[in-house]
Order: sequence, then C-alpha cells, then structure tokens
Amino acid sequence: MNPHMLAQLLVQLIVIIGVSRLIGRGARWLGQPLVIAEVVAGIALGPSLLGWLAPDAMHWLFPPESMPFLKMLAEVGLVLFMFLIGLELDPKLLKGRGHASVAISHSSIVVPFALGAAAGALWLYKSLSSPDVPFSSFVLFMGVSMSITAFPVLARILTERGLMQSKLGAIAIACAAVDDVTAWCILAFVVSLVRASDLAHAGLTTLFALLYIGFMLLLVKPFLARLGARVANREGLTQNVVAITLILLLASAWTTEYIGIHSLFGAFMFGAVIPKEGGLAAALAEKLEDVAVVLLLPVFFAFSGLRTQMGLLDTPEAWLTCGVIIVLACLGKFGGSAVAARLTGLRWKEAGAIGVLMNTRGLMELIVLNLGLDLGVISPTLFTMMVIMALVTTFMTTPLLRLLYSPEDLARERLVQTPEAPLPPSAYTVLLCVSHGQAGPGMAVLSRALAGERNEANLYALHLLSPERSLKARADEALDPSAASGGALAPLVGRAEKLGLSLRTLSFVSSEPARDICRTAQAKRADLVLLGWHKPLFSQTVLGGTVHEVMQEAGGTVAVLVDRGLSQVRRVLVPFVGSRHDRAALGLARRLVKQAGAEVTVLHVTSPEGAGAGRAQVEELFPADEGAAVKLKVVRHASPEEAALEEAKAGYDLVVVGLGAEWGLEDRLFGVQRERIVRDAPGSLLLVRHPEGATVLAQTPEGARTQGSSPETTPSVGARS
Amino acid sequence: MHLGATLRLLRVDAGLSLRDLARRIGVSSAYLSRVENGVDAPPTQERLTAIARELDVPPALLMDVANRVSPYVAGYLEDVPAAGTLLLDIARRKLTGAQLARVRAFLDAEFPLREVRGDEPVPPLAPLLCAERVVVQLSCGDYEDALDVAAGRLASALPGVDAAKLAEGLRQREGEAPSQVGNGVAVPHAFVAGAAPVAALVTLARPLKVDAPDGQPLRLVVALVDGHVGRARLMRLAHVARLAGRGLADRLQGAEEAQRVLETLEELEALR
Repeated sequence: MNPHMLAQLLVQLIVIIGVSRLIGRGARWLGQPLVIAEVVAGIALGPSLLGWLAPDAMHWLFPPESMPFLKMLAEVGLVLFMFLIGLELDPKLLKGRGHASVAISHSSIVVPFALGAAAGALWLYKSLSSPDVPFSSFVLFMGVSMSITAFPVLARILTERGLMQSKLGAIAIACAAVDDVTAWCILAFVVSLVRASDLAHAGLTTLFALLYIGFMLLLVKPFLARLGARVANREGLTQNVVAITLILLLASAWTTEYIGIHSLFGAFMFGAVIPKEGGLAAALAEKLEDVAVVLLLPVFFAFSGLRTQMGLLDTPEAWLTCGVIIVLACLGKFGGSAVAARLTGLRWKEAGAIGVLMNTRGLMELIVLNLGLDLGVISPTLFTMMVIMALVTTFMTTPLLRLLYSPEDLARERLVQTPEAPLPPSAYTVLLCVSHGQAGPGMAVLSRALAGERNEANLYALHLLSPERSLKARADEALDPSAASGGALAPLVGRAEKLGLSLRTLSFVSSEPARDICRTAQAKRADLVLLGWHKPLFSQTVLGGTVHEVMQEAGGTVAVLVDRGLSQVRRVLVPFVGSRHDRAALGLARRLVKQAGAEVTVLHVTSPEGAGAGRAQVEELFPADEGAAVKLKVVRHASPEEAALEEAKAGYDLVVVGLGAEWGLEDRLFGVQRERIVRDAPGSLLLVRHPEGATVLAQTPEGARTQGSSPETTPSVGARS
Repeated sequence: MHLGATLRLLRVDAGLSLRDLARRIGVSSAYLSRVENGVDAPPTQERLTAIARELDVPPALLMDVANRVSPYVAGYLEDVPAAGTLLLDIARRKLTGAQLARVRAFLDAEFPLREVRGDEPVPPLAPLLCAERVVVQLSCGDYEDALDVAAGRLASALPGVDAAKLAEGLRQREGEAPSQVGNGVAVPHAFVAGAAPVAALVTLARPLKVDAPDGQPLRLVVALVDGHVGRARLMRLAHVARLAGRGLADRLQGAEEAQRVLETLEELEALR
C-alpha cells in the first residue's frame, strides 16, 4: 500500500462514518434502529445513489483498487462484531424458558427455511442463478438467508422500547438467540459444502467443525472460566488479559477459516463460550464495542452498499421478484413464529408482536448475504434484492410493534405479572419491646434461652419514645453520653452483652406505640413479640393498655414477660388445656427445651367429669423422643386456675401460660381480681397470646422446617381444639 | 449533593444499562461510569440535557440537582451581570419559599418559556407524606432497620400490602442501585402494582455510617412507593435528590415532631 492509498483509506473512513452518523440522526427521529441508517448510508455511497448521481465522485472516493483494503477492514470489523454478538449471547437466555420459546424458535426457522428453499429450488434458481452454482448449495443458502433473525438489532429494539423485562421480550430474545445459533450452524455447513469440491471433503469439514466445537466447549471454556474468575476477583481487566483474549479470538477465527467454515463462525463461537458472569464479558464488550461498532462496522455496511447495485433491478419483473421475496420472507418468518406462538397459548396480539420481532433481519442478514456473494452462490442481482428485503423487514419492525403492542399494553402487562414470590424463610426472629429499663435484664435472660448457645435467632430491641418524653430523653443524653444508646435500652443491652447475646437496637418517637410495635414486627417478620412488664404489679392489670392493643393488632404470637428476678431458665411450667394460646405457649416451651435445655413440666388440667382425651393431645404435641426433658402431669380439678397456681408455687423459674378464661387471663381490660395467677405466682411469668388463624411458627430452627407434620405447625389443628 | 449517585439511581429506575444510556447520549460508558461514581466532573449542560431527555425528566430538574449554585446560573450571571443585582435584591429581602413562588408565578406569566414540553412542575413530596408516615429521631444500628420502620409505616397506607414484602422490595431495589443520593439522604423506593404514590420519611437521631457516595453519614431516609414505573416516579426521585442538595437533612436534623417536619418540607418545596 503506498502512502496515497493510506490517504485514500482515511478519507473513505471519514466519509463513511460521517455519513452513517448523519443519516443516523434521521433514523433516530423516525424511531428506527441505527443499523438502518448505516445500511442506507452504505447504499447511498455506492453505485445505487452516489454512483448514479455522480459517477466521477464515487470513482474518486472508492476507486476499484481500494476495494481490497476496505474489504479487509470490513472483515476484521465483522470478526470483532461477531465476537461481540457471541458475548451478548447469554446461555441463561436459552435455558429454562419452557417449551413455548423452543417451539416458536424452531418453527421460526423451519418455516422460512422451507419457504426460502422451495422458492430457490422452484423458481429463483432458474431465473436468477447461473448453472455453475451447485443446485444444493443455492437452495440451502436461500433457506438460511430467509431464516435469519438479527439478535443484536432485536436486543436493541427491545431495550429501547423497554420490553426486555416483559414476558414477550423474554420469549423473543430467547427465540432469537436459538435462531442465531441454529442459523449460523446451518450456514457453516452450507459454506463448507460450497467450498469443498465434493461430498467427501464436505464430510471432512463437518467432522473438523465438530472437533473444533468440542475443543472450544471442553477445553477453552473452562480455561476462560478461570480467566474470568481472576478478572472478577483480583486483577480487573488488564491489557494483558485483553491481549490474551484477542489472540485467542483471532486464533479461533483463523481455525474456522482454515477448516473451511468461515472465520465469522469462530469469532462468534469464541464470544459465546466466554463466561458471562463476573464481568469479563461486560468489560471486554465495553473495550471493544466502540472500535467495532462505530469505526469498523460502518465500513462493512459501506462495503456491502458498494456491492449493492439498485441499477441491476431495471425491469418491472425484477422489482416484482424483489417484492415476492420480501413477501415470502415476511410470510415465513412472521407467519411461522406468530402461528407457533399462538399455538403455545399466547394471545394473538402477543403472538403477532413476536412474529414482528422475529422478522427483524438487520445486519445479520447482510453478513450472510455478503458471504453468499463472496462464495458466488448468489448473483449481484439477487444480492441486491435480498439487501432490500433485509432493509424492509428491519424497517417495518418498530412501527408494526408500536401498532401491535402499544405502551398501554406494556403497562397493563407489567401490572398483571407483578412477582408474588413468597419471602424466603428467615431465622427465628424476636422483637423485644422495652418501655422501661427495669424490664431489660429479664428479657435478656429469656432471649438467651430462646436463642440458645449459638445465637440462632435475630433479636431486635425496640424502644419507643413518646413525643413528650423524647425531649427529656435527649436532655439526659446530653448530660450522660454513656446513655447515648437510649436510656431505657441500656440495662437490656448491658445484660445481653454479658450473656454474649447479639441484638440490634431500634428506637424512635412514636405517638401510637402499639401500632408501631405491630408494624415493626410485621416488617421484621417477627415470630414472637416480647413485651416487657414493669409497672408496679398490684396497681394495674398486665393485659391492659398498650399490651392489650398490641395483642389485638399483632399478626403473630405476642408474649408478656412478668419479670420477678428471672436469672435463668431451667425449670419451666406450662399449664395446658388445649386452646391455641396454650399451644403457642407449648411451642415456646419446646423452643426453650431445644435451645436452652430447660426442663418443662406440662400441667394438664382436666375437669373432674371430663374424659382423658387431652392427654393424648399433649403426647401428640410432645413426642416421646423429647420426653426426657418434658414431664407431664395430669390433674383433675374444677378450677384450672387454682390447679395451675398451686403447681406454680413449686419453685419454677418461669411459668409459660397461654391466655384464656380458664387461667383467669383474658386480653381485654378487666378487673384486678381476675389476674390471680399473675398476682399470686411466686416466679416470673410469660403470658402468651396467639392470634386466630395464624400459624404457630418455629419451635426450633430445624423443628419448624422438618417436623412439618407436628401438630403445632399447622393452623388447622389450632382450630380443632 | 452527589449528582452521579442520583444519575445512577434514575438510570436504573428507568431500566437503562450503563451502556444503553452512554450509547444514547453518545458518550463512552467508561465516561458515564466515572460521572456516576463522582470521579469525573459533572457533565456539561448539553450532556445533562441529553441525559434528561433520555430519562424523560425535565432538564431543569437535573441541572438543579447538579449543584447548589449551578454552573448554568453562574454562566448566565457572567453574561448578564444585571441579573446578579436582582438576585442580590432577593437576598436582601430574605424572601421565603412561598414568596419566591409568587415571583416565579409572575415570571411565568410575563416571560413564558418557549419550550413548554418537559418543564411542567415537578410533583411535590409533601402531599405524599402525612404525620403518620413521618418517623422522627430513629436510632438504629443498621440501615435495614430504618428500611423496616419505613416499610411498616408505608404498609399501613397501602391496603393489602405486607410490610415484610414491602421491606423486601425496598431492599431488592437497594441491591440493584444504592439509593444514597448524598448529603446524608437515602431514597429507597419500591414498586407496588397499582398503588397510588406514597412516601415515608424517617429522620435518624444518630447518623448512620453507610457507603454514601460523598462519605456523609446517613441522617434522613425518604422511602417512596409507586404504582407506576415512569416519568412521574423518576421526577420524584430526582426531586428528592434536589431537596437533599438543598440541605433537607440539615433542616430536619433537630425536628422532634412529625408536624414540624412536614412544615419544614412544605416551606422548602414552595418553590420547586
């Protein structure tokens, strides 16, 4: 290449890129993808427009002797571009899309392929091909060129229209990906068939191609996965890594070229096997994209535009043929995929949209056509017709899509398919509500017992400041910086630290403490809301005021700790008659057994005249394997409350009791005389309420998941009692 | 105020990838990434206008987010020094937000803007709030707790929505794009199909150490829930970022009552 040629090439590049961008602005205005503009720019610079208007200018700009350089540049650009296409092809797109997209993508290849091949065989071969082109190659090529879908253009259109996340977009992109891979495989086969002189050679080429694919998948892919992990972990994308990747890319392209199935296939394949996780693919794409897409790809378009000679279509018949090709192409692709989509159960509207999308041929078609022209399979006339077909099918996608699938439809679809996935299970969560510092230490001890040695629970300590008190609290804080974590929470936090308990504290100003407790519990998905009780015991009922409100509103188990110096949880009493609150109390006791090794005594009280049916119930709830730590006492007594109180005096650390009239505990505001068990029991108490219809959650971390059959975990059992 | 973080938040919410947006406004994605991370200088007026056009939010709103005394104002003042005198007059009178709104109404009537499209008023934040959804003086050890508290308040305004699911939604969005917009403000947001937009506001008693783009500890959380994805939602997000830039967190710092918070906000928002 002499210096003059270099100057020539630079001028060509300037003109090509400039004109593409210029027309690109117009395309944007029309809402068309940039590809259209680039193709049109190429055609305009070629003999179809510039050569027609000013042949001298075209000859000056693109003299025939400069074509080889342009071609080489275009080829390198294509290799890079196909690599990028492969990079964009995420195998995740192909997996798990269900049979719908498989069926659609297959029929969207088979139908247009058959139509194209039939048209080629019956009609075009005679009229537009020369006898020295092998019949089989021509027919196969026509089939392939009709069944191309432009994966990149499609992806761009879907992104620009915000359809990528929709069901429609997911199906379309998966189909396009499958189509792409399939079409390139068929094309590779056709190319090998054309290039090989006879069938034996073609077979050999196919064999080598299969070996190559196996090599890429089995050896190169794992290597790249490791390289990708390195990039993701430590080094980032250094220039060395880029160099290695480029060398491998070029080697892969060279191999396929050498085997006889075009270099583009190798580039595509290499891009496809690069791992898409960990950022290697994204980083590579970012580095190479601008050079490939902005600089080199327009050269390719210009090059194919230079070979497109509209002048060849000089008769009405030629234009008619061109029209028929366009109709056939649309019929095959649009019809094939739309009908298949409809058959898989999509509505006609969606099916139509899929058909329109799959009909986008874009630049992939141009690549295939150029290949065909290079190989001499198709004549320049047919090439021109097919280029027009590619342009028309791409051009009509966006307006048709807008017509079929308006933004309102999209909005509606988004509303319909909001994800309703259930939340993942979380660890046992307890919300400790502290209104006064006094209650803190006892709650810490109980939490320790509920969480166990290994801290198998999420503990949140909530302290709500009343709007009036907050000012005072802040004044205290100013005086005593050590109380900065919230004065009321300090005793709880202090004891928790001593016990090695990890908990997170929360406090804010609230004018409706009960509602805020319930809302926070709901947001935290608390299995248990634990309330502290601190007021002087004889002046007011436990179950009144805020406690009452929380119990009314909460969606889960609520327990009130009446702390009388709780320092350990060894001996636990659970009075039991069988209500849902009693069951929840048993559930908590059971957790204490599992996590803290507590000894639980279940006091089952039956009425003097009643049968012993309850006993079976208790045994059902506490299976024999836990029997060691659980003692069952059955008492016949006219007043369960009396019986429980008597037993409670026998030196228990904690009495866990469900709410209910039988224990003299009801969750409404009533007189002092009724809460005898609270007043007279010597030890600490835990009063448990379980709302109607809610499941009793998580006795133990494993118990809740594996013992799904155990009665407490099913809400229906609660209803039975 | 961190423009980059806000841009990223808006971009992710608009469903655009870094590469998409970069391609559309004709810059390299590396450059856009640097802008989002605050490594590069804020984009020029033209680029910011292009970004606003792609995101479909009013360009003026983004420019307002960009800086406290925006370079666009500075540029104008240089060209027309008399305008500076006018600003000085306004400053000497110590006009409040409400009074400035009147000045603006006069401007709109007297000198209407030529390009009307894209410059309609931004939906204010205050009407989306009420005293019930304002939590003051939250002290917590983790940003997640603040999200949960906000979710709890939001859920009671949204019938049929579970607070835990809402909290999960907020967290999920947070995972896609961090909602810290700088100046001690975070704007977590979630999508609830068909819901009318609501907001919850949480002021923190103790600033939280979080990964803020400008390194300032978190002092204010404004959680937004929308029933529709699109322009209005993006404008709300950008608007909160702009409020953050105008010192929202500082002004609400000492507020003890929800009502005070709402009043401060209304005053600040009078001129949008």
